[in-house]
Amino acid sequence: MIHPGIVPLVPATLRFDQIRRRFGRLAVLEGVSGAVSAGEALLVTGRNGSGKSTLLRCLAGLLVPDAGTIEYQEDGGTPLEIGERRRRVGFVSPDLAFYGELTVAENLAFFARLRRAELTRGLDLLDRVGLPPDRRAGALSSGMRQRLRWAWALLHRPRLLLLDEPFQNLDAAGERVTRELLAEHLAGGLAVIANPSSLEIDRVAGRLDLGR
Amino acid sequence: MWPAASTWAAEATAVFVKEWRCELRTRYALSTLALFAFTTLVVVSVSLGPLGVARSQGSAVLPVLLWVILLFSVAAGLPRTFVQEEESQTATALRLSATPSALFCGKLAYGLTVIAALEALITPVYLAMMSLPVRSPGLLAVALAAAGYGLAAGSTLVAAIIAQARSKGTLFAVLAFPVLLPLLLLAVEITRDAVGGDPAGVALTQLILYDACVTTAGLMLFPAVWNP
Amino acid sequence: MESLTKTILPWLLWLWLVGVILGAFLYAPPAVGFRGSSRILFFHVPMAWVSFVAFLAAGVESLRYLYGGRAPRHDRSAAAAVELGLAFGVLATVTGALWAKVMWGAYWNWDPRQTSILVALLFYAAYLALRAALEDRETRARLSAAYAVLGLVVAPFLYFVMPRMAEFTLHPEPVINRTGKVDMDGKMVLVLMSSLAGFTALYFWLHNLQCRIAELAERRASLEGDRP
Repeated sequence: MIHPGIVPLVPATLRFDQIRRRFGRLAVLEGVSGAVSAGEALLVTGRNGSGKSTLLRCLAGLLVPDAGTIEYQEDGGTPLEIGERRRRVGFVSPDLAFYGELTVAENLAFFARLRRAELTRGLDLLDRVGLPPDRRAGALSSGMRQRLRWAWALLHRPRLLLLDEPFQNLDAAGERVTRELLAEHLAGGLAVIANPSSLEIDRVAGRLDLGR
Repeated sequence: MWPAASTWAAEATAVFVKEWRCELRTRYALSTLALFAFTTLVVVSVSLGPLGVARSQGSAVLPVLLWVILLFSVAAGLPRTFVQEEESQTATALRLSATPSALFCGKLAYGLTVIAALEALITPVYLAMMSLPVRSPGLLAVALAAAGYGLAAGSTLVAAIIAQARSKGTLFAVLAFPVLLPLLLLAVEITRDAVGGDPAGVALTQLILYDACVTTAGLMLFPAVWNP
Repeated sequence: MESLTKTILPWLLWLWLVGVILGAFLYAPPAVGFRGSSRILFFHVPMAWVSFVAFLAAGVESLRYLYGGRAPRHDRSAAAAVELGLAFGVLATVTGALWAKVMWGAYWNWDPRQTSILVALLFYAAYLALRAALEDRETRARLSAAYAVLGLVVAPFLYFVMPRMAEFTLHPEPVINRTGKVDMDGKMVLVLMSSLAGFTALYFWLHNLQCRIAELAERRASLEGDRP
């Protein structure tokens, strides 16, 4: 576990090379490459169906590419295995859902136990993003759900954030808070952001256009 | 912070607690399961009835029907543990957070408690409605425990497999029944022994061996089933 | 040279099997007390044998897929084995039932071997149903491999449990093979062994063809695939 306040000597880097993924006869990704280091954000753009979400899912370890390599390393060591990478990343995506019968706080407490994060972190994050802890997750508006996704993604202090449409459904206050969180994250971490609603993001290392 | 072993147990416990907490707030699975089991029980007993089946054949036939009722009830209610995760899309969050083995054990523990509750509810009612005296109730309890475990273990793994497919309802039965067939046969054999007052034969050993094998297979295969 | 053997071997196989058929009807005498119907033995036994070999092959290939680098060719091989296992298994069951009808007047006797092949068919059908319900290639390969391995773990229990179950049938039947072997003379043994060898070779040849077809189909799909 990375303890906050300790700046690692070797920055974390993510590198992916010639990623290919098809679904049946549909070739969604055909040789996509890119790299991003700590303190930087990589923007992924492209029209609907160009494979942005698929790429992010591959980077998160939720999908295995048909071909190509993904190397993510923290602390200059050997690249993490897919299982480790899966557990280390912070992931925000429109189809991420939580347990409707549990309250927001109970949801985060559950995932904090799974991730072996401090239980207080969940409450702190809820406070930060402005969510009432005792609201049932099933009773949240779409904007509040998006705030919950952010809180969940940051629960275990990840160094790599993979954000798919991260500001979707957020009102002005929500977008301000999440942009602050992103800026704080990019102080020491790295991020890949797909389909940003507005392209003003600091510390952009590069832009990957999947085209079509 | 904590040693690795206790946090694995904490993870599995957290999954178990989460399952029950969600279940108790909706009462969906318990009520459906119990209702299904009870309805099947009533259908069976009304069709056969204590008078319909000759006493001499009762001890051979009735144990089979008890296990058929339990098997079908489990098939009706247990796959939900994984199917629900996929359908409500909470599976993504779970895939990124949980250690597969802890997740499997947590879900298995939940399945075990559900089956235990089901058996505790159905078996006495069944024995009473069919007027079936059991000479070795202790052996029957052992059979229920051992076979109930096997049902839970096998069903949990198969549920995880079909949850990611289409047409999950019928697919579970199609995949699970061949796997659970040895369990069913062994359970019936031991139950017959319990009814007749005979000592447990080699069947009990084989049932426990089956449980061990399915558990091992589950622990080994689940990570591959759950994660790409 | 390699293409020469590739062209010659199928013809050799064809000749061998023709020889087996001729030998079955003209060379080997009918079994003592069985009349001409026993000739079905020369085809029924190898078919059942091949079906079980296929079961084992599917399990082994699935293990190789899961733990040997997830190479698609192992997945194709396992699927081909199951398809052939199903085909041979159905033939074995049908030929067995026909012979049972002639021998004992009933198509089905719950003889342990009859039941075993039936359960094997259930596993095959379940495996193929699972594959049909999974669209994504990687998920399909992974989950069906897991199910095949689970089947492999569970199947031996049927082998141990089934013979005891036969005691419960009301009409215990003599097992076909045992009676056959006691009365088999040298010529019959020769034809039977030749048939076993021929059918096994046939299985491997068909399996090889099936794998190659599957690979070509996959390659064609990736070449003429749609663009989003």
